[in-house]
Amino acid sequence: MGRKVGIVATGQTKHGPKRLDVNLRELITEVVTRALDDAGLRTEDVDAVFLGNMEPFEGFMFPELWSVEGWGGYLKPSVKFNTGGTVGTTTTMAAYYYVAAGLYDTVLAVGFEKQSDGHTQAAITTVGDPVWERTMMAGAVGNFAVMASTYIHESGVTPEQAAKVAVKARRNACNNEYAHLQMPNLTVEEVLASQILAHPIRKLDMCPQSDGAVAMVIAEESRARKLAPRPAWIRAVATAHEQQYMGDSPKRLAIMRSQIAASQKVYKAVGITNPRKELDVAEIYEVATYAEMAMYENLGFCERGHGGKLIDEGVTSMTGELPVNPSGGVLSTNPIGATAMIRVAEAALQVMGKAGKRQVPNVRTALATGYGGNAWTDALILASD
Amino acid sequence: MATTKAEGVEQEALRVPFRLSMEYEYALGAHAERFFGELRDHGRILGVRCPSCHRVYVPPRPVCGICYAETREWVPVSDEGSLVGCTVVELPFIDPMTGERRPVPYGFAMVRLDGADTAMYHFLEETDPKKIYVGQRVKAVFCEQRTGSLLDIQNFRTLEAR
Amino acid sequence: MSATHWSVRQKIEIPFQYTAGPAVTRFLQGLTSKKIVTSVCSKCGWRGVPPLSFCGRCWQPVTEFRELSGTGQLLSYSSSGGRTFGLIHLDGADSSLVHWVVADGGPLKIGSPVEPVWQPERSASILDIEHFRVMAG
Repeated sequence: MGRKVGIVATGQTKHGPKRLDVNLRELITEVVTRALDDAGLRTEDVDAVFLGNMEPFEGFMFPELWSVEGWGGYLKPSVKFNTGGTVGTTTTMAAYYYVAAGLYDTVLAVGFEKQSDGHTQAAITTVGDPVWERTMMAGAVGNFAVMASTYIHESGVTPEQAAKVAVKARRNACNNEYAHLQMPNLTVEEVLASQILAHPIRKLDMCPQSDGAVAMVIAEESRARKLAPRPAWIRAVATAHEQQYMGDSPKRLAIMRSQIAASQKVYKAVGITNPRKELDVAEIYEVATYAEMAMYENLGFCERGHGGKLIDEGVTSMTGELPVNPSGGVLSTNPIGATAMIRVAEAALQVMGKAGKRQVPNVRTALATGYGGNAWTDALILASD
Repeated sequence: MATTKAEGVEQEALRVPFRLSMEYEYALGAHAERFFGELRDHGRILGVRCPSCHRVYVPPRPVCGICYAETREWVPVSDEGSLVGCTVVELPFIDPMTGERRPVPYGFAMVRLDGADTAMYHFLEETDPKKIYVGQRVKAVFCEQRTGSLLDIQNFRTLEAR
Repeated sequence: MSATHWSVRQKIEIPFQYTAGPAVTRFLQGLTSKKIVTSVCSKCGWRGVPPLSFCGRCWQPVTEFRELSGTGQLLSYSSSGGRTFGLIHLDGADSSLVHWVVADGGPLKIGSPVEPVWQPERSASILDIEHFRVMAG
């Protein structure tokens, strides 16, 4: 629908626990510079900038205002997005819509966050309904622990299988020069011995909090073909929202209605009927190890209840049938305003053949997903044609 | 390629502290007022039923999100139910609403009351993770003094062992 | 709770610690020594207070920093609750600074000359300047 749109360049900062050497504006400048250099463009060549950030984490409202100098935006248009974990994919999709519709030809999408400037768990409390949920909330950890218990009950996955997901992620991250947590020697035993945060979630089952940013140059077809030898074309996008309270979809990780709906939509749009076979790589938004296995099921990579089997059989490892999160995923890097866009950027690198040590051979079709707040989902298909 | 560091300046990283304290006053709305009034005055829990799909919603709300139909029928739901998901939280963290650390460990669960199709978060009395499980039957423990909030239910007590 | 409708009061506290970054760090540390520092872009000449580490218009790093006298002119001001704050155009800078203003040696007027009054104890904070005072003349 609309014009053909491709991702032609990306930039990322080295994600880490604390970037004390730059303030938030400078972090944006750093990543924008990298993306523009990757595209061989200057700020004058960019028609508009799409910014993704979760303001409560830094307590600094209106980044589209104070970051203007950081993305070369003086007297330029910009739009800012704030959609929880899905910020990065929402921002990407908005950029895609504007370019596909013909309003802009070349745009920059930027996702950024400095978790260390604020207090992540305190800010996350504001996600809960003030009257019905806020007093009970136990942060993202409590949320995922409860959801994981339901998934374990439905599927029978074990802590060992979850630990294998943790090992896969942090070892994959060693091939990613930007990743926050790189653990080449991590073992299942170490994961199982790590501190329990909330049963069954252990410290190494859970994603970190990071400072970091990502940016992508997105262009319409004729520009894209000039800017990159092999653009990552955005072939299909979908968003699906859930009902308002956390308990409205009680099994919302095990059977994530929004994830099923959004992925089915994008698969249908590009004619995929067997995602495990027809996707070459997937970068999915997995906040915790158990979540990754549940997502295998919701995304149709396997039958219901077989998420653990997939990790046991190595289907989603770098050498498996469908590598999942060659970048190390959210489990290795999590600057929330950037995280979902990092999924898209990493999927794009795979399609463009620029993923270096983490390149999966012969990638033609990639899936990128975003997960937000009360379990809503974004899904994108990127392809080489 | 441009860089951002100021050249030739050795300096330590400076952090500027700022404590943001935000005060809110949330209007409950008619559905929540009725729910909490019933809870406070009669120790009863109410849901609403969608006229189209017949789902019973707790918390009650004016519209069924799936059918986009007005929910006007109020139905009492039980103070007993089952655990849809459960955990025991070990990590102490500061509750940003009180500024205090919650004492750990504490039980925390998604509870579906009999008669309701949706579930809600609440605390569990039990703090041993080996003694709670998905599907376990639980019952609300009401406070003697109630003010019209979810904390009028102190927590949920498990009714059976595996 | 009002007589007719019910509301719930809540307070949420979030502690922040902003990373200043190299240029702003330099500025704040300058304040400890009673110095106000501006950045100077080598291409467009923009003199920024607080200083920038990167000029977004020229798209290049800023490497020159200059000390200012600290005096300036009051561009605008507003009084509320017994205090006045104003926009101060410092001599030698292109951007303006917001700070407290006291009509000490002269009247509060657009264009009034001002100078900083320093705290006796300083800690690399914008409040190391206690306020700007309107000078005589």
